[in-house]
Amino acid sequence: MTLQAKPHAEESLPQTEFTLRVNGRDHPLRTDARLTLLDALHDRLGLTGTKKGCDQGTCGACTVHVDGRRVLSCLTLAAQCDEREIATVEGLGTEDELHPVQRAFLEHDAFQCGYCTPGQIMSALGLMAEGRAGSPDEIREYMSGNICRCGAYQNIVAAIRDVAGTEDGGRADDVPQAEGGRP
Amino acid sequence: MTTISRPRLIGPGINRVDGPLKVTGRAPYPNDFAYPGMVHAVLVRSTAGAGRITEIDTTAAERSPGVVSVLTHLNAGPLARGPMTPLGVSPPAPLQDDAILHYGQIVAVAVAETFEEATEAAYAVRVGYADEPAVLDLDDPRAKVRTNPWGRDADRGDVPVALAGAEVVVDETYLTVDNTNNPMGPLTTVARWEGDTLVVNNSTQWASLEGAALAAAFGIPEESVHVVAPYVGGGFGAGLRVWQHVVLAALAARVTGRPVKLVLTRPQMFTACGHRPKGRQRVRLGATREGALVAVQHEARTASAVDDDNFEPTASVSATAYACPNVITRDVQARLNVPVPNSMRGPGTATGNYALECAMDELAYRLGMDPLELRLRNDAAVHPPTGLPWSSRAHKECLERGAELFGWSRRTHEPRSMREDGLLVGYGLAAVGYPWFRARCSARATIRRDGTAYVCSAGTEIGNGAYTVLVQLSAEALGLDPGQVTFGLGDSTMPMAPQTGGSSLTGAVGSAAHEACRALVGAFTDLVADDGDSPLRGCTADDVEPADGALRRRDDPAVHESYRDILARHHRPDLSADGESTPLTADELGMAPAGAFGAKYVEVRVDPDLGRIRVARALSVIDGGRIVNEKTARSQIIGGTVGGIGMALFEETVSDPGSGRIANATLGDYIVPVNADIPDMQVEFAGSWDRANPVGTKGIGEIGLVGLAPAIANAVFHATGRRIRSLPITLDQLL
Ligand code: FES
Ligand code: FES
Repeated sequence: MTLQAKPHAEESLPQTEFTLRVNGRDHPLRTDARLTLLDALHDRLGLTGTKKGCDQGTCGACTVHVDGRRVLSCLTLAAQCDEREIATVEGLGTEDELHPVQRAFLEHDAFQCGYCTPGQIMSALGLMAEGRAGSPDEIREYMSGNICRCGAYQNIVAAIRDVAGTEDGGRADDVPQAEGGRP
Repeated sequence: MTTISRPRLIGPGINRVDGPLKVTGRAPYPNDFAYPGMVHAVLVRSTAGAGRITEIDTTAAERSPGVVSVLTHLNAGPLARGPMTPLGVSPPAPLQDDAILHYGQIVAVAVAETFEEATEAAYAVRVGYADEPAVLDLDDPRAKVRTNPWGRDADRGDVPVALAGAEVVVDETYLTVDNTNNPMGPLTTVARWEGDTLVVNNSTQWASLEGAALAAAFGIPEESVHVVAPYVGGGFGAGLRVWQHVVLAALAARVTGRPVKLVLTRPQMFTACGHRPKGRQRVRLGATREGALVAVQHEARTASAVDDDNFEPTASVSATAYACPNVITRDVQARLNVPVPNSMRGPGTATGNYALECAMDELAYRLGMDPLELRLRNDAAVHPPTGLPWSSRAHKECLERGAELFGWSRRTHEPRSMREDGLLVGYGLAAVGYPWFRARCSARATIRRDGTAYVCSAGTEIGNGAYTVLVQLSAEALGLDPGQVTFGLGDSTMPMAPQTGGSSLTGAVGSAAHEACRALVGAFTDLVADDGDSPLRGCTADDVEPADGALRRRDDPAVHESYRDILARHHRPDLSADGESTPLTADELGMAPAGAFGAKYVEVRVDPDLGRIRVARALSVIDGGRIVNEKTARSQIIGGTVGGIGMALFEETVSDPGSGRIANATLGDYIVPVNADIPDMQVEFAGSWDRANPVGTKGIGEIGLVGLAPAIANAVFHATGRRIRSLPITLDQLL
């Protein structure tokens, strides 16, 4: 006989209070301390552009920026982000006015089902800010934390090449960063 | 048949019409839906590989904070199994008894106010099992065996005699492993009951079936189920069946009276929604010294589940691949205590083609012949089983054009004879075909007073580009700009559509939309039949052609009237028509309906000391009939190529030999290709308008994957002289 069990918690964990500042807007929250940043954004704030692909830090679909750095929001507790600057895909362009990276993804058909796409785009922006977009090989390497099961990799590289600058590791100073991007 | 003038073979690569929604993160996938009062469901899975549940204790789970309900086989109540489908039976109804058929089987569901609370409660469910030995090996004598499961076994000519008399024979066995679909969007069901109506947002590739299966499960009329899936985060086959978790989300919603969201975790994606099953294939080829095939015998044994079916015709690829008078194919399935296998991009064909095309390469080497020459010599110019002409076939053209583009002539025949930068270089090739499949489909087309159109059908967009190509086809049939047409998909209340599977959606929905648009043109000519104010008075649908938002007389294109003017004069807000398409049989057509054909060329580089393998180049030349949208079609092929590279070099679902527990059920441990694994891939289209289909297309969703594994295996042999007859090919095998 095998048993599958875990001693159960009799009481709820204490609730935590904090403020998430997302795309320049403050959202006060009172939640279960176990809430991830991903679930906070997606389920509590209704910012559903940030996607859950694995919830284990292995796929990149949940990539957002925190204080200007790309992070995996599924591996980040929401409460850790109190008062920090969070940027998500919703802070970029709109359908009628796409951000240059979004426009490049559209033109190069750098997605298929579109599920990994917000994460890819947030990573692409991070990549350029980090000066890691200087060559196709560099882009491939530093975009490898973002899985695309539809296999749009080649077009993702082309889209990023299109927007990235030609010098300084592809830093493109004319490309707007996500709101709440750089510290 | 079509009366519109025939457009170019390769259609314009317009951007995806759903692209702006997808790049802004605003396309609503099933797990993006939320409703007031919604609770969360988390599954509990079996930790035994076979046997029975002896006790299940939910006391702690029920006391856990935020819990609303815990469902097990003790309280789930009766649920009926879904209907028979073209892919086999529906999955068994969940939580119906204490039997454990595989490790990871769903044994309970915890429902709580939040996801965190439901997860905690799921951990608190205590389950005891009486273990029985799990049958896990393909050759275990205890396994029930299904012979000829799909009625596709072929018997042509006299294979034993032909093999005995063949001048050259290849007889080899090839092994493939379990692969897991792993679309990026975890399969999700958000279920709610509105009175007696069940509404589900669901990750599905087959909304119409979903409605029927849920209706059967709950004993309610099909009209009482509404499935909504405008966007699905990939599928690759995982969305082709109505899985147990879908039924359980709906059950939980009924029990709790609240909307329920159930998102499979990534580890659950390995056990709850299918996978490509492992298999063993023996291929015997007999040929003359000149390389003419005289015999093909292809036998495949693949895994299936104890109480479920899957569609995986593997050996049968050899029935139609080459012109050969003597052919035997045999498919056999062994029923094992494993999660049910299911279609994964190129089901059966990808594995069957792998074995056949490796064997063809081995034959070429035994003959001392160029592998390309061997394929060309045995080209199946007509459909081999029937002798009928194909509805389209540019297979030779694919092979020849590919050789030219790839620079195949630079290849030196001897293994280990090409090097560059200290690495062994290998060229490999595979010829591919994908079986034709098409099903009946319906669509409805509407033109509104403002001259824009809305066309819909219950098909699904899973990354295939369906919205885009269906807008293009409808715009063409109505004489509108693509910008004036909206296409509706992914809703079971829309006209019935078959699955997004079998590379059939564009053909099915495209043809149905085409018929609906034709009927709509007829509705307009009917409307003005007696209209003295219309220049089209007295015209039938055949007398007019749509162009520029209007209908114009074929015999006098200067005479025309716009849809807007007709609707305005007749005080109609809109006009609609339904269309249905039913595929014709080979007998009716007088030809064999053809699927896509193609050629795959690959260059690998292998480190002679470390055995490290890299794909340096991959070229696909595809005969996909008419290509509606060059851009999205190219994406289908490169996406399939990435999947094929995964199958060849990376992907293996590893399970514990004793229990069947999957040991690598995460995307960190189950290796899928990432950006840095993928070389520049080239895609070229060849061929002509397919004659079996009113819109001229052939499906290309799967052929992109097929053939990569053998092309890579053959290239590895060419590079290293090592013939690896199992997948995935990893560096340790080359040391
Ligand atoms: S969801 Fe965060 S890395 Fe996959
Ligand atoms: S577009 Fe589907 S996973 Fe990347």
